[in-house]
Amino acid sequence: MQYQPSDYLPIIVQLIAAIGFIVATMIATHSLGPKRNTKLKNEVFECGIESVGDARTPISVKYFLVAILFVLFDVEVIFMYPWAVNFIHWVNTSAAVAKEMFLEMLVFMALLLTGFVYVIKKGILHWEK
Amino acid sequence: MNSIIALSLFGIANLFLGFLNNRKILLPATLAFVLVALGLNLADWNQEYLWFNNMLRTNNLSVNFASVILVATFLVVAVSRGFGDDEEHTHPAEYYAIMLFSVVGAIMMVTFENLIMLFVGLEILSVSMYILTGTDKRNLRSNEAALKYFLMGAFATGILLFGIALIYGATGSFNIHGIEALVLTAAGGSAPALLYIGIVMVIIGLLFKVSAAPFHFWTPDVYEGAPAIFTAFMSTVVKTAGFAALFRLLGGAFTGVYGTWIYILYFLTMLTLIIGNITAVYQQSFKRMLAYSSISHAGYLMLTATAKVAHTQSSILFYSLAYSVATISAFAVLMVVAETKESNAEKTNENFDIFNGLAKNNPLLAFVLTVSMLSLAGIPLTAGFWGKFFIFSDAFQRGIVVPLVVAVLMSAVGIYYYFKAIISAYFKEGDVPAIELKPIYKITLIVTTLLTIVLGIAPDLVKSIF
Repeated sequence: MQYQPSDYLPIIVQLIAAIGFIVATMIATHSLGPKRNTKLKNEVFECGIESVGDARTPISVKYFLVAILFVLFDVEVIFMYPWAVNFIHWVNTSAAVAKEMFLEMLVFMALLLTGFVYVIKKGILHWEK
Repeated sequence: MNSIIALSLFGIANLFLGFLNNRKILLPATLAFVLVALGLNLADWNQEYLWFNNMLRTNNLSVNFASVILVATFLVVAVSRGFGDDEEHTHPAEYYAIMLFSVVGAIMMVTFENLIMLFVGLEILSVSMYILTGTDKRNLRSNEAALKYFLMGAFATGILLFGIALIYGATGSFNIHGIEALVLTAAGGSAPALLYIGIVMVIIGLLFKVSAAPFHFWTPDVYEGAPAIFTAFMSTVVKTAGFAALFRLLGGAFTGVYGTWIYILYFLTMLTLIIGNITAVYQQSFKRMLAYSSISHAGYLMLTATAKVAHTQSSILFYSLAYSVATISAFAVLMVVAETKESNAEKTNENFDIFNGLAKNNPLLAFVLTVSMLSLAGIPLTAGFWGKFFIFSDAFQRGIVVPLVVAVLMSAVGIYYYFKAIISAYFKEGDVPAIELKPIYKITLIVTTLLTIVLGIAPDLVKSIF
């Protein structure tokens, strides 16, 4: 079975339909809905502390380091969920496979922890240094 | 294949060695790590194995390429001198670790059996190179180079990945031997258009990484902006790995549809040779000249990658080795001389004129520079001559006449700009104070020079192994 580029036409059609739906709904709600502009309604936040300045202030590099580390470890931990869900299945089928998979996860965790130790030793999590 | 696992662990070990507060230990440790990896790599000699569910294949070809890469890495690490004594602004442990990690990527590009592994290896190598390019944090040129390299490299990776996806769409396989079989049957007639587009896109992605024209625009800026030691690493290891990958694809998976890409590659080879050599003539900066020279050497290697005869692989290997050794010695000389001059001037000067009068007080450095320039230019009795000789004879056997004539003419142009450095060193007036070299630096320079000469006199020593 050989596919030609034209066989992928349905994907483009679906893409256009999806984008068209969003655009059409946005235009429809904007033109159909009532509009009452007041100073209070146009505020960014209707309640809470009044905003000061704009968002483009310099932020300490440390913040980005911590943020990216959070993302990194978060994503890596997510790999454990599918592993954990499948683990009981491996245990039920064969002990050898289960053992191997357990070792694989140990290796993964070891690498993760090594990275964590490196980060702590580098002092990246020390907020004030 | 154990070399990949070992290098990954060594890289991590290197990161932790950095906490010892002893910068002296890092250089010998890294050299030892590379040597161990080289030993593990050679242990795979004369064995054909598939690893990790048919993801990687080791055979003599891959062992040879990986050895050239590891030898080049060893030499680059040996001339790195531990990245100086600037405690605050340099992080040698991290640099060495990233270098080791990038070698993992390079070896994966050599041994891949599955296009996914090609992509992963290429990315490990490229991301490491983006970081290493920007390591001179306070230098604007280095920052610019890193950003430029990253943006252009990301586009090239995208094109490569798209090509892989299209090839998968056309053949239903990521395995390069599977693709080879399917391409051969498809070549009989009803090959889908996706296959041809995919093949051309993959070739474009790889040609970008080896800086062939017209995908070379990043090369001079990146090579000039990056710290010289990483430029040396980039122009040897990345190029060898890129050509290994290109050779394995062109010589294996894509052979069936030869007619699609061969004329594109002929044209690009000639373009690369002409642009690389002619532009190099006009360069004032020695480092920028080496960047253009690396473009032109990519052209010579492309010439043999397209000339598919039985011993093409040994020509590519020999040329990569000769080119790597000569380039590393040229960069090593440039680094010490530029550093000596730097203490007198504010800005790093990497022009040809820093070599003026080099021979008077530093005969060894001048000799090393001369031999490496002669080898890059392809003068007989150096390794570079035989490298060019094998490549040209491959092309001649294959009957690729027009690109061959261009290559011969352009290597004559090359002599002009390589000799500019020699003329500066021996015949121009200038004062370079006598430079004191550390023993390991001196030994490495002598080894690279000797290797160039020995391979120039007896090329069969290495060629018969390949």
